[in-house]
Amino acid sequence: KKALDQQPQGVVSSDDLNTPVNIEKMVIAAYSSLGDESIVTPNSLWSWGSLRSGDALKGGDGLGDNSGWNDYEQFVTNRPNNTYSDQMWAQLYNGIARANDALVRVNAIDVAVFPNKVSRQAELRFLRGNFYFMLKVLYNKVPYIIETDPKDTYIKISNDILTSDALWGKIADDFKFALANLPESQADIGRPNKYTAAAYLAKVLLYQAYKQDDNHNVTSIDQALLQSVITNCDLVINSGKYALSDDFAKNFLTQYENGPESVFAIQYSQNDGTKYGRIDMGHSLSYTLNADFGCCGFHVPSQDMVNSFKTDNNGLPMFTGYNDADAVQGTDFMNFNFDPRLEHSVAIPGHPFKYDAKYIFDRSWTRAPATYGAFASLKDMVPVGDPSFQRIPPFMSSSKNWEIIRYADVLLWKAEALIELSRETEALPLINQVRQRAANSVALLKKPDGTYPSKYKMTTYQPGVNATWTNSFARQALRTERRMEFAMEGYRFFDLVRWGIADTFINSYLVVESTKHPYLKTAHFTKGRDEYLPIPTNQISFSKGLYKQNPGF
Amino acid sequence: QQKTVTGTVTDKQMNQPLPGVTVKSGGQTTTTDVKGKFSIAAKIGENLTFTFIGMEAVTYTVTADAAPLSIGMEYQPGNLNEVVVTGYQTQKKADLTGAVSVVKVADIKDVRVGSATKALQGRIPGVNITSDGSPGGGTTVRIRGIGTLGNNDPLYVIDGIPTKRGLEEINQDDIESIQVLKDAASASIYGSRAANGVIIVTTKKGKKGVNKIDINASTSIQEYAHRQRMLNTDEHGRAYFQAAVNDKADPNNNQIYQFDWNKDFDNPVLNKVVLPQFVDAAKTMKPANTDWYKEIGQASVIQNYNLAFTNGSEKGNTYFSTSLYDSKGIVKQSEAKKITLRLNTDFNFFNGRLKVGENLNGTYAKNVLIPIGDVLFTALVQNPIVPVYTVSGGWGGPAAGMTDRQNPVRLINDNKQNHNYFGRLTANVFADLTIIPNLHFNTSYGVDYDGTYSRTLQKSYSSGFLTDPSNLVQNSQNYEGNLLWQNKINYTLSTSKHHLDFVIGQESIKYNNQGFFGSRKGYALENIDYAYLDVGTTNINNGGSGGAYSLLSYYSQANYTFDNKYLLSGTIRRDGSSRFGSNNRYGTFPSISGGWRLSQEEFIKQLSFISDLKLRYSYGQTGNQETGNYATYGLYSAIYGTDHVFDRDGGTAYDISGTNTGTLQSGFVKIQQANPDLKWESTKESNFGIDFGLFDQKISGSVEYFIKNTSNILITPGYLAVVGEGGYKTFNGASMQNKGIEAVLNYDGRINTDMSFSVSANIATFRNKVTALPSEVVTAYAGNGTDQVIIGHSINSIFGYVADGLFTTQDQVTNSPSQPGKGLGRIRYKDLTNDNVINDKDRTYISNGNPDFTYGLNLTFKWKDLDISAFFQGVQGLQVYNSYKTFTDFTSLWPGSNWGPRALQAWTPANPTSTIPALTLANNNDEGRTSTYFLENGSYMKLRNLQIGYNLKSVLKSIKVQNARVFVQGINLFTVKSKGYTATDPENPGNGYPLPVIGTLGVDLTF
Repeated sequence: KKALDQQPQGVVSSDDLNTPVNIEKMVIAAYSSLGDESIVTPNSLWSWGSLRSGDALKGGDGLGDNSGWNDYEQFVTNRPNNTYSDQMWAQLYNGIARANDALVRVNAIDVAVFPNKVSRQAELRFLRGNFYFMLKVLYNKVPYIIETDPKDTYIKISNDILTSDALWGKIADDFKFALANLPESQADIGRPNKYTAAAYLAKVLLYQAYKQDDNHNVTSIDQALLQSVITNCDLVINSGKYALSDDFAKNFLTQYENGPESVFAIQYSQNDGTKYGRIDMGHSLSYTLNADFGCCGFHVPSQDMVNSFKTDNNGLPMFTGYNDADAVQGTDFMNFNFDPRLEHSVAIPGHPFKYDAKYIFDRSWTRAPATYGAFASLKDMVPVGDPSFQRIPPFMSSSKNWEIIRYADVLLWKAEALIELSRETEALPLINQVRQRAANSVALLKKPDGTYPSKYKMTTYQPGVNATWTNSFARQALRTERRMEFAMEGYRFFDLVRWGIADTFINSYLVVESTKHPYLKTAHFTKGRDEYLPIPTNQISFSKGLYKQNPGF
Repeated sequence: QQKTVTGTVTDKQMNQPLPGVTVKSGGQTTTTDVKGKFSIAAKIGENLTFTFIGMEAVTYTVTADAAPLSIGMEYQPGNLNEVVVTGYQTQKKADLTGAVSVVKVADIKDVRVGSATKALQGRIPGVNITSDGSPGGGTTVRIRGIGTLGNNDPLYVIDGIPTKRGLEEINQDDIESIQVLKDAASASIYGSRAANGVIIVTTKKGKKGVNKIDINASTSIQEYAHRQRMLNTDEHGRAYFQAAVNDKADPNNNQIYQFDWNKDFDNPVLNKVVLPQFVDAAKTMKPANTDWYKEIGQASVIQNYNLAFTNGSEKGNTYFSTSLYDSKGIVKQSEAKKITLRLNTDFNFFNGRLKVGENLNGTYAKNVLIPIGDVLFTALVQNPIVPVYTVSGGWGGPAAGMTDRQNPVRLINDNKQNHNYFGRLTANVFADLTIIPNLHFNTSYGVDYDGTYSRTLQKSYSSGFLTDPSNLVQNSQNYEGNLLWQNKINYTLSTSKHHLDFVIGQESIKYNNQGFFGSRKGYALENIDYAYLDVGTTNINNGGSGGAYSLLSYYSQANYTFDNKYLLSGTIRRDGSSRFGSNNRYGTFPSISGGWRLSQEEFIKQLSFISDLKLRYSYGQTGNQETGNYATYGLYSAIYGTDHVFDRDGGTAYDISGTNTGTLQSGFVKIQQANPDLKWESTKESNFGIDFGLFDQKISGSVEYFIKNTSNILITPGYLAVVGEGGYKTFNGASMQNKGIEAVLNYDGRINTDMSFSVSANIATFRNKVTALPSEVVTAYAGNGTDQVIIGHSINSIFGYVADGLFTTQDQVTNSPSQPGKGLGRIRYKDLTNDNVINDKDRTYISNGNPDFTYGLNLTFKWKDLDISAFFQGVQGLQVYNSYKTFTDFTSLWPGSNWGPRALQAWTPANPTSTIPALTLANNNDEGRTSTYFLENGSYMKLRNLQIGYNLKSVLKSIKVQNARVFVQGINLFTVKSKGYTATDPENPGNGYPLPVIGTLGVDLTF
């Protein structure tokens, strides 16, 4: 009998993992899901949030290179069998499963032997909430599973049990628990604290506030929730722990990571005992094709977005007319006024690349300029020679952290809530705070001769002087500010859907942009359908038809 | 004058006494005893005849000489008395009741292609062997269809030692016999691991009175048999142009080509493809017209040498051999070198009552680690405009507008210094004690271990836009192996009418494997002599893992023959495997079989043209334990990080404290779910067989019909994503049925002693269907999980869309069901649900994935010392999924790649009859989806082997050469395939290593 007893080698059983030390490790495993991604499933969500929004074009080597992304960009050919939609779905549920697995253990252990119990419970629910937030904005209707659901009942949990609003409520519950139970500060910088939870809760409540019907129409904006957004944002603002970085650039440079503006970030690393480091694979295809990099030229800023950085003679953004004339390269950018955040967000032919005055970005670095233009996305790249740069042939990326929430976001969420509560006057200083910092952030943009590659002119809103701060003006100002501040960071599409303007904005964008990039002529956003991804065919099959497809697919 | 004649009859071939030979004189009949001795009364001048079933009759004229006679008998073709190893026993072929195929080793003797299994392709009905052309020689062997999921490899038993490793590592020239146990009744003696069939290999042994040296040498040249033609630079430009103008996109909007054309999208005319001065912005690469297959390929040499010594006496026997096989591949620098050594000895003590011996085989192999798969793939996809070298002699590579794949010549060159070393030692010692006559106790202890070692230097490079300035050295070492102990008791009871063989035994196997690797970066020199771990300076990394399983078995088998007419055989085996839950560890595998030798019945004996006729039936049960070693357990693993170049990172390490570097905190992640109820998969099989021989076995053959039901199939299905990582759970899932017919027919045309010919044909067919499907595993198979499930379909079924030609008029486009991306020249998919929408509901089972039948035909001709043989093999009625079509037909599926010549014949309004979809730069119609567009007729017939030999022994008599055959041989000389198959070789529809055509010159000498 004994001859047949073979102990599993090099593995552990579930029961082995209920010691305090191992439970801490299970918590870490849940954290690591924040950075577990592939080249086609970025946790920054750029391929869904900035690609489909008018901010970015797919890029890469023609339409067929990662054609699943082309299907996203075309909308009409976005089919339920798009493998990226399926892979991302699985990736996010992997994160949820890790959080749930650890939660079961944390819930069961006595606080006497595990003093961090309450904090860890809160952290895990924070992480779970993060992954559900991502699922919600991507797919809308998703199965909601928590640690108390037995594994064998998962097959019975459909994606349409909860209404959209109820699902938002569940997600908010995790952050409310986190807010109530997290300490004010944590020894480890990667762990959320009370204020991180407040910030994320504010974000969730803001999304929840815009009530959607089954066809994704925004039907009303919940005033109580907006008030709650403000309360939570105020918690963060008044904590004194956070501030805008003095220079916008510091949010996108490795040496300043975990700075004052970072509320919550994915902590990447390198030379950490793994072959290539636990690096930002989600942005690895953004790098350009010059001799120092080599691949792959995706995530290309659109002409519309570049133009949208234009400012008027007062140094304010142009809500209309910005797209009437193009700035494409070199000295084109001296012909108009610009918001300096352009130079932080977009690599422009003939301009210094990533704050290196002598390192000039060139059209020849780009992959398929005839199709996608010759811009590149800067925030996701690190400069040449940066110690966080990491090759992972044939790709490359870096261990630079990626911000999930930065303080500017908190300020603008509060401003948004205030405006929707018709308290636009209170929103003004918040927006101006963000603008003032941006206007000041030109120190790193100088060319060797001390001049700037573009003509910057940017000021704050000064009602009565350069603007009339009505509610509708303020709303436009807020929405424009978000686009400039978070350009290429992967939020734009979800903002548009939240505001209920995705179809109108994107279709009018496509009309103009397709004259410059003809491949977009076939693209069209279908209202009531394209606000969300389809539920992946694979998951409908694996659920044996339990999951209900989203409308229109 | 009457006298008593005495003597001994022996089997000439085996050099052993032959009992039971009928000896007839004018007035008397007797049979030889167990020692082959006889004594008979005869008159001088009278003829004595010696007859024995299956052997050529011998006639002897009695003389006055009083010395005992020594009569040697030879087998007739058909070999009814041939001894067949059927497990832990041997049986006469005439007494077999199961479906056992005996391979004619002589037929494959000189077909040395690196592995005996490769040479067997097509020679045994019901045994389907596929291989690729790589020098390392991978083969896939499937006996009687697909029996299960996961591992379908048969069990190999080499000199009693079971292994799953195939025959690649043993010297083909050492093989004495190969038997294939196809039905469950025959295989069930190997119980637990026999469900996919058993291949029994016996190696050569020394024989009493035989003292000889065998030398075999051959040299071959091999070259691509079939080569995929891809576009040249100008053609590639034209295809791109066509795609762009089809899309109404400016064709000059690209990074490589410029086009001189009429600028009329409605009637585009291309005057000239204009190449740039340089392909890349850095101006290092001039446009080329590279034929990548030509750059990576070569005609190469295979060398094969074998030297064997055989010596035997009363006291003991020795067989010693050594061989060298060295195959340079048809991809440059690829090479597989294999050296084997075998020593089989046995010694007799106490007048033969105790026999002690050993079988030892050592194999050493050294392969060049060219990443052949990548080389072949990149040769397919790399653009022809890319030069092999830059103007300054560096590596050419992809530039903007091209796929990010390597220069295959660089891959070859930068890896040629890397080798894999492999060693395997298989050895068993045995003792056989005759307790009383016919009662043997036999024990055998064996080790079967193999190890691999490699040290690879990955050089820094710059090749087009692909660069890696770092270098890396990796060392890895793995070993795995079995310890086996077998004990058995054999008993034979024979009377004139009754014959009983009985065996009872026990066997235990312990398997384990372990491996580790280390790697470093930062090497000052990129030289293999320098590239040791010690001198690497950065990125120090290592890893390792291991596993084990054990098996414990008891078995018993009895074979009973009555009056040489009625045959009965029964087996029972009880197997325990560590891989199953403690309540289900043991499985019992019984079998029973019977035969009726009609030809021994008087009423058939009257029909003199019938020389053999036997009806057989067998029923048996076998098992399968091929699943993860620890599949019953729910397990977690401390996975720090995983390879995330192309896949999602599945690690658990996280920089929680924001230090950016150094050792990180990490955790555990689930890797599989528990299933404590996991048990044996089992196969129950009925086999109906008929063996026949006509006209003194001039015509002989057999037909088998089988029904094989496999249940509790072990499967680890994919799972609902919400379960999270490690949702894998192994189930005893579906049930499946294979039914089939196999037939062999031999004709032996012996015209006279100088001239003979033979024809041997085989054909086999099977039908497969899934018969039961528990709900937990529904989604593991092709289908949609709801209304389209695989029950009733073949397990190999392909599930997809039905391509219904192309849209050729705007009218069709307008009036067809809604299909995102449809348009002129696009593939029209069938609306199977008639709901006017083409979506995933419109998928169906589009191919069963199995051939109608497979066949082989072997022809031999002999005239004096000349011999000629030809062997044809074929597969008929198979729909294969030709994935090459995604490259050859489309510019949109692999946009930055090179494409095939079919792309130039694609549909355009000016070429309206084409069935190839219009070229486009954007795959808006999702035409890479699984559909009938990619299904093609995969039928083929190949001339596998053509051989002409001449034996010089009569010429060389003076120098005591017993045998001196020289031969020339061609392998894969031609292929007949369907016109419907648009790639090169339907046998290899994936992107495998192409099968080479091989020409060989060889010599076989025996002293």
